[in-house]
Amino acid sequence: MTAITPPARKKIKAGSFSLNRFSTRTQALFHVILLLFSLLCIIPFIFVIIIAFSSEDSIRQIGYSFTPISWSTDAFAYTFKLGNALWRSYLNSFLITIVGTVLSVAMTVLYAYPLYRRDYKYRKFFNFLSFFTMIFGGGLVPTYVICKSVLGLSDNYAALIVPMLFSPFNVIIMRTFLQTTVPPELIEAATIDGSGEYSTLLRIVLPVVKPGIATIALLVSLAYWNEWFLSLLYLNKNMSIMPLQYLLMRMQRNADFLAKNSSMLGADASKAAAQLPSQSLKMALVVFIVIPIACAYPFFQRYVIAGLTIGSVKG
Amino acid sequence: MKKFLALILTLAMVLAACSFAVADDLPTITIMFHGSNVSDDSAVLEKVNEYIADKVGAKLEVIWGTWGDFDEKAVNVLTSGDKDVDMVFTCSWSADEYNSYAKKGYFLKLDDLIEAYGADLKAAIPESLMQAATIEGAEGKGIYAVNGFKDTATQNTWDVNVTLLNELGYTVDDLKAKGFFGWDEIFAKAKEVKGDSFYPFLVEPMVAERMVTNSIIVAGDAGSTNLLSLYLNPDDVSADGAYGNKLLNKFATPEYKAFVDQMHKYYEAGYIDPALSVAETSNDARTNHQKDASYLIGTQSYAFGYEFSADVLARGVEVQFVPCTTPYVDTTASQGAMMAINSASEHPEESFKFLALLNSDPVLMTLMNYGVEGIHYTLNDDGLVVFNDDARATYSPWTNGMGNVTILPDTASEGAGFRKSFQEYYAGALGIPSLGFVFDNSPVENEMAALGNVAAQYALALDCGAVDPETELPAFLAALDAAGMQTYLDAANTQLDAYLAK
Repeated sequence: MTAITPPARKKIKAGSFSLNRFSTRTQALFHVILLLFSLLCIIPFIFVIIIAFSSEDSIRQIGYSFTPISWSTDAFAYTFKLGNALWRSYLNSFLITIVGTVLSVAMTVLYAYPLYRRDYKYRKFFNFLSFFTMIFGGGLVPTYVICKSVLGLSDNYAALIVPMLFSPFNVIIMRTFLQTTVPPELIEAATIDGSGEYSTLLRIVLPVVKPGIATIALLVSLAYWNEWFLSLLYLNKNMSIMPLQYLLMRMQRNADFLAKNSSMLGADASKAAAQLPSQSLKMALVVFIVIPIACAYPFFQRYVIAGLTIGSVKG
Repeated sequence: MKKFLALILTLAMVLAACSFAVADDLPTITIMFHGSNVSDDSAVLEKVNEYIADKVGAKLEVIWGTWGDFDEKAVNVLTSGDKDVDMVFTCSWSADEYNSYAKKGYFLKLDDLIEAYGADLKAAIPESLMQAATIEGAEGKGIYAVNGFKDTATQNTWDVNVTLLNELGYTVDDLKAKGFFGWDEIFAKAKEVKGDSFYPFLVEPMVAERMVTNSIIVAGDAGSTNLLSLYLNPDDVSADGAYGNKLLNKFATPEYKAFVDQMHKYYEAGYIDPALSVAETSNDARTNHQKDASYLIGTQSYAFGYEFSADVLARGVEVQFVPCTTPYVDTTASQGAMMAINSASEHPEESFKFLALLNSDPVLMTLMNYGVEGIHYTLNDDGLVVFNDDARATYSPWTNGMGNVTILPDTASEGAGFRKSFQEYYAGALGIPSLGFVFDNSPVENEMAALGNVAAQYALALDCGAVDPETELPAFLAALDAAGMQTYLDAANTQLDAYLAK
């Protein structure tokens, strides 16, 4: 820290006119730090792509390497041979993520808005109701029983969407965002101008909190996109609605299980292990999983950054 | 007009409901398997349902559990009393513990059903397997699962790359004569011929330990890293071993010390791939070396006919499995793959009839296991099964996890008469003196968890020879003692004595 500040001060003394400007040396330092940080983020992904294109022989002989002995597109050829199973699960992932995100954001906003309104009578109670579930969960088995037997969430898309619709954490974020960006005066002004409750929410409040919504949408869509545990729990017979993450996770878990139990299973484990998909195939699937979300990120990012700087009241 | 329409609609719905009920009056029973690789079961289930409609009086649905997700699914189904799943795979070696689940009342006691509908089943499965399944459960002593007739005896073997061995100028007999403690010279030669990056000794460390010290797995012991150990008599597995019928801390015996010392020597000399000593990479590395045949001697827990399986043939070298002992029947192996009926099931009779049929009727077992003739396999001129690889890619259940595999037809790669020899091989296997004993670890659960963690930290690296036993073994033993090894041992021995006294 001390290394950064002195040159900046010196520059100002030397007659620089912009207070917001850093010295060249500081800028260079920041650039280097950020560059290193970006590399830390990008290199693993590049590594994954390299492994996906490495030949199986190369992985067997020298393990994962940035410079494999030989290249191959077998893994991708195989994923295309997976055909329907792969594309259907890919489509499922998109469907679950999009529907889930839209519904979840709608629910979060509709729950958070009354909690933000000071004139809402049961505010404390509903606040507590959602907060309580953050601390005390029902546990896996009771949740499973309720979802499967009472709500009928089994072997259908709803089973992969509904359990994650509501997150108290997101409600708190949204409520806080409303509190900090939408002054009560704005609501009062709207009411005086003759706006009803719904039109106040939809026409006045929502446009102001767009960045907050984008943040929540990003969090929720990431959560849906990466979700596989719900599939494990609730998909039994209807495997055609399985998302891509679960397809990948299943391969990983199969390999882990066989590794753990190979000394118990004996020859059966060796036979099963020989059938497992190759390392490069797993990495190829990771590429499939990462690309859409990596593409979606910049769009959200615009709003997230905007959220830091914009409010409804300027000055 | 509206009322009239509503009336017609109601009538139509009632009629539709009636016609449904008439066409579809068979109850649906659901079975959950382990270790499947099935993405399309439509052709098979159509045939199966045709076949069992009269014999069982139910329609079958299947949940194809995979290796990775079965345990979690089974626990949820059983603990939540999910009545939608009627039959569940169970065994004694994984989290889906037969003995503890039966005790908790998750499984239906089958004795009455066997009496009523099990004549064919009893004829198809050896008495010893029925006995192995007889345990103390929630409803008293009885049979809580249908025990599959598969490779029901354990036999550990040295997996020898004979092609390479002969190339080096040795024979399998040389290996046997020199024994585990005298392979330095052979390994050194292999290293010299094949280069420095070649690792001749391909061990599965835990299995190698059992092979060299003649110790066996005790059912009910801590998961993947066993702590307890019974010692076999390698010359006669049905006789008492060196320590009699006493359970020992396997890491504290002189046999174990000798084993890890030797492994450390081999490891230091570069005969063992370091990847084998890390839990995360161990299995992958082993599979890869096997695929490449880049090893000289390996370890393999053997099942009869394994040398004819596709993955051994694919290695492209001559492989021989050299046994350490004759096959022996212990509790773990004799409860290796079973099918239990969920106590919450609404159709226990139909479920049992199905299980009995599956284990005694070759047509049904072949259909369920190998698929439909003409789609998943064809018969060659000798009447042997030739698999259609494309179709099998979407339908390959875990053969041994389904039940009585001795009634399956022979495949072309196994050769004619294989299943008959298989049956004889295992029918002739001897039981160990304490066969049937299962350690009930519930009184010492906490100790077991703590000890399991300690063992996970030390055992693999020691077994593989990656660390120096002079310093690490005493540290390991001290850590075990601190975690309550003595309490654990005493509890186990008290139970074993009580069991043997009966």
